[in-house]
Amino acid sequence: MDVLNPMTYDAEEDQLRDRTKYSQMDKHLIPVEFQQQPVSTGTTIVAVEYDGGVIIGADTRTSSGTFVMNRFTDKLTQLTDRIFCLRSGSAADTQAIAQVVTYQLDFLSAEMNEPPLVRIAANCVRRMIYQYRDDFLAGMIVAGWDKKLGGQVYSCPLGGLLVRQPVTLGGSGSTYIWGYLDNNYRPNMTQQECYDFVLKGITLAITRDGSSGGCARIAIINKDGVERIDVLGNDLPKVFDL
Amino acid sequence: MGDDILSYNGGVALAMKGKECIAIACDKRYGVQNRTIATNFTKIFQYSDHCFVAFCGLATDVQTVSERLKFRTNLYELREQRKLKPNVLYNMLTNLLYERRFGPYFVFALVVGLDPKTGETFVYDSDNIGAISDNVNLVTVGTASEYIFGLGELFFKPNMNADELFEATSQALLNGVDRDSASGWGAVVYVIEKDKITVRELKGRQD
Repeated sequence: MDVLNPMTYDAEEDQLRDRTKYSQMDKHLIPVEFQQQPVSTGTTIVAVEYDGGVIIGADTRTSSGTFVMNRFTDKLTQLTDRIFCLRSGSAADTQAIAQVVTYQLDFLSAEMNEPPLVRIAANCVRRMIYQYRDDFLAGMIVAGWDKKLGGQVYSCPLGGLLVRQPVTLGGSGSTYIWGYLDNNYRPNMTQQECYDFVLKGITLAITRDGSSGGCARIAIINKDGVERIDVLGNDLPKVFDL
Repeated sequence: MGDDILSYNGGVALAMKGKECIAIACDKRYGVQNRTIATNFTKIFQYSDHCFVAFCGLATDVQTVSERLKFRTNLYELREQRKLKPNVLYNMLTNLLYERRFGPYFVFALVVGLDPKTGETFVYDSDNIGAISDNVNLVTVGTASEYIFGLGELFFKPNMNADELFEATSQALLNGVDRDSASGWGAVVYVIEKDKITVRELKGRQD
C-alpha cells in the first residue's frame, strides 16, 4: 500500500499502521488519568523589523495540558551571533529543529568564512519543518540582522512555508492580538515604539490565552549586538482589568 | 487542555480549619479551554449565616447545582423555621448529587460551616456523586487541587487563629494556581469567625 497513490491506498491498513506505531501505543495501554499530554510551548511570539534591526518577544510559559511545566521558559533561541528563532508548538520538536539548524549554520559560517544571512537560517528551519511536516508540530519565526539586508523577520509556520514579513505573530496567543496588530502597527516605527508594541502585544495575549503566561522576554538585535530584556510580571504594562 | 470535562472551564477552591474559625477561598477565572472570558466568576455561595459552599468543575453545573441547592435550603428554612446547620447542608448536597448517580453533575464541592454558639468548625469535601468525607482539616477541589494540596499541607498547622489561617489559605491558593493554566486571575478569601465574616479579594498573577 502506497499512501500517496490513490489506486493502492487502503484506509484500514493506514489506520492500523498509525495505531500500532510505538508512539501511539500509550493511548491504548495506559488509563486516561496517567497519560501525559505532550509538552507544548502554548505561546505568544512577536517579531517586528525596524530601521537598523529587529525586536522579538515571547511569553515564558510551557504547559503540558493544563499543568504549567515551566513558568520562565526562554523561547528566544539563539541560532548565530545575530540570528534568533522564536519557538511555538511542540517543545521537543522546536528544540530539536533549533539544535540542528544551529549546527548547520555554524558549519556554513566556517565554510563561507562570514556570518550566515538571516534568509539562509530561515530556509534551514523551513526545510526541516517541510521535510517532516506530517510529524512535526512546529511554528517558528526566524529574525535577525545581517550585513546585506539589515533587520529581517521570516515566518516559518506549520506546513513549511517561508515568507518575509515586516511584522509577524505566532503561537496560540497570537489569535488574540491580530486585531491589536492591525490597529497599532505602522511601518517605519522607531526602536522604542517597536519595543512598546511588542511588549503590549505579549501582555494582551498573556491576559486572554491560557497557554501563554508568566513574564515577557524581549530581545533587540542590530549591528551592534543583542540586547536581552526580561520584563517580569509586575512590570508588564497595565491592560483593561477584566 | 484536552477533552477532559472537569478542566473545560477550570477553577479551584480550598478550605482550611482553624481554632473557632474557618477559611474558604476560590479563584475568579471563567474560561473556555484556552480562552479566558471573565475574571469575576467566584465559586463560593452562602447558604446560611455561617455556612458556605464552593463548587468547582463545569461552570454550567456550578450555577445549576448552587441554585438547586438554594431551592432545597429555602424550603427547609421555611418548613423548619430555623437556619441550616453545616452538617445538614452537607447531607442535603450529597443527597442532591447522588440522585444523579448515573448521569452526574460535573462539579466537586466543598462545604464549610461554623456553629456561632459553640465555635465548632465543620469542613467537608464531596466528589461529583456525593461521596462523604467529613473528618478533614484541609480540602481542595478543582483543576489545580493537586498543587494546592501540597502547599496546603505545608502551611497548615492545627488550631491557627484567623490571621494565620488567612495567610496560609491565601499563599496556598495563589502559589498553587501559578502552576495551572486553567485557574487564577485573583482570588476571594472568606474567613468565618463566631462574630464576623471577613471577605478579602486578592490580586494575583493576571495570566
